[in-house]
Amino acid sequence: MIQTNDDLTVGEMLFRAGISRRGFIQYCTAVASAMALPPWMGTAMAEQLRTSPRPSVVYLSFQECTGCLESLTRSFAPTIEDLIFNTISLDYNDTLMAASGEAAESARAKAMKDNFGKYVLVVDGSVPTGAGGAYCAAGGRSAEDTLREAAKGAAAIVCVGTCAAFGGIPLANPNPTSAWPVSAIVGDKPIINVSGCPPMPEVITGTLLQFFTTGQVPDLDEHRRPKVFFGNTIHDRCYRRPFYDQGKFAKTFDDEGARNGWCLYELGCKGPTTYNACATIKWNGGTSFPIESGHGCIGCSEPGFWDKGSFYSALSTPAWSKAGEVAPRQVLELAAGAAAVGVVLGAASAGVSRLRQRGSERPSDNEPKGS
Amino acid sequence: MSRLTEIPIRIEGMPLGIEPPAPAATFGLGGGVAAILMELVTLLERLAQSQTPSAIDLRSLPMSPQDRIELERALGEGEVQATVHAEGVSTIRETRISGVWWVEHRNRHGELITELLEVTRVPEILARAPDEIALGANALREQLTAAAANLREARSNDPN
Repeated sequence: MIQTNDDLTVGEMLFRAGISRRGFIQYCTAVASAMALPPWMGTAMAEQLRTSPRPSVVYLSFQECTGCLESLTRSFAPTIEDLIFNTISLDYNDTLMAASGEAAESARAKAMKDNFGKYVLVVDGSVPTGAGGAYCAAGGRSAEDTLREAAKGAAAIVCVGTCAAFGGIPLANPNPTSAWPVSAIVGDKPIINVSGCPPMPEVITGTLLQFFTTGQVPDLDEHRRPKVFFGNTIHDRCYRRPFYDQGKFAKTFDDEGARNGWCLYELGCKGPTTYNACATIKWNGGTSFPIESGHGCIGCSEPGFWDKGSFYSALSTPAWSKAGEVAPRQVLELAAGAAAVGVVLGAASAGVSRLRQRGSERPSDNEPKGS
Repeated sequence: MSRLTEIPIRIEGMPLGIEPPAPAATFGLGGGVAAILMELVTLLERLAQSQTPSAIDLRSLPMSPQDRIELERALGEGEVQATVHAEGVSTIRETRISGVWWVEHRNRHGELITELLEVTRVPEILARAPDEIALGANALREQLTAAAANLREARSNDPN
């Protein structure tokens, strides 16, 4: 995994791995299309990257479940993104690398020294600060120490997953390890948040490729997420949206509405307040996404998604509690705005269905958490 | 310059003799197809004047099956059809309109991943880059050296 041919260009390394320039153009054109970049950017991106020196990536895993890395490396193998990320760029990742112990730590130190100021630091997982950092330590050093040191020489930090971006599940109430997102600890470096639990593999690699190609941080939204992927809500781009507009809602997961593929809003779909690319890029190589499989969006790419009440309560249900960076009032306003159209059409039935839903929920789902 | 008529005017992107904006019905085409064709005119003019290639991403446009049929009919078939077997199969079809190429890229599973109308002299994926050409020269040189060595070896082993 660890390459020593630092003087080779990406094109030369791809060629040695059996990927021709044409194959790379095919790949980059598809990435540009997925990112809604101007179509000629695909070829430009391929030519630029091909002649660039090998990019360096240092990947740190903290308080996480490895789901993000699984999303990235196990999506559909073997792909060019896997090759560029894993074989060509990755200088340190404690899960994927063959080396361990002192050898692994010295590989990280060497990569950080050799590429000081140039490497991309990818962080996966939140940073626990409780108990002096003892909840997450490697090689006798706390996650916070390791992060601070690695951030010093980074050109940019890409936070992969909702835990690194917003604290995610570790930060959820009652946050027993005093976990924080990367942005709460590192203040002097460009941070790009690629949120999701896990994030889409195309979004992770697209963000990295764009940075490798341009050397620039892309346009970000207010949560520092790349706008090309997080510019629209799931609801905006959902193929079930026409049913929402017509007031046709599934009331339970096995009623006629569900069978007809109607809108899952009343079953708790968080699509209207969730920004991500699931509805357009889709998962598993473009096969499907949760709503297409019959389940509402759980809002996993948004700050505080775990503490926003039941995944099965409709957004307009005032069951919101402490919600990380999103103030409950703001969420309710968003939900009210989104609901306005649909509720006019189906107000009475919605009320009845919510009563029915509550009856079937576990009591804890309706309890405010830690408010 | 004293008179309005002396100011030179060049109309871009519109077929001559048609007042902009032309209603789609003028062409007997769906609105979406007419819009794509008008954009192609602009892109072709840019290519002709400044050699700037460009492309339209067909997958980013909402098109009905009927729109597709109309678009294919309007662009027609050109002289060149090429297939590239790299990471997946790409098909490159020249259209009847010089400079407009219909390019499809598929992945290893045969799924369509990109569909473009490229406005260019030759699509970039068909041309070879200078560094590849240098690699080709090296490969051929090595092949000749190896062939010469084989020949020498064969001669030295031949008792006659």
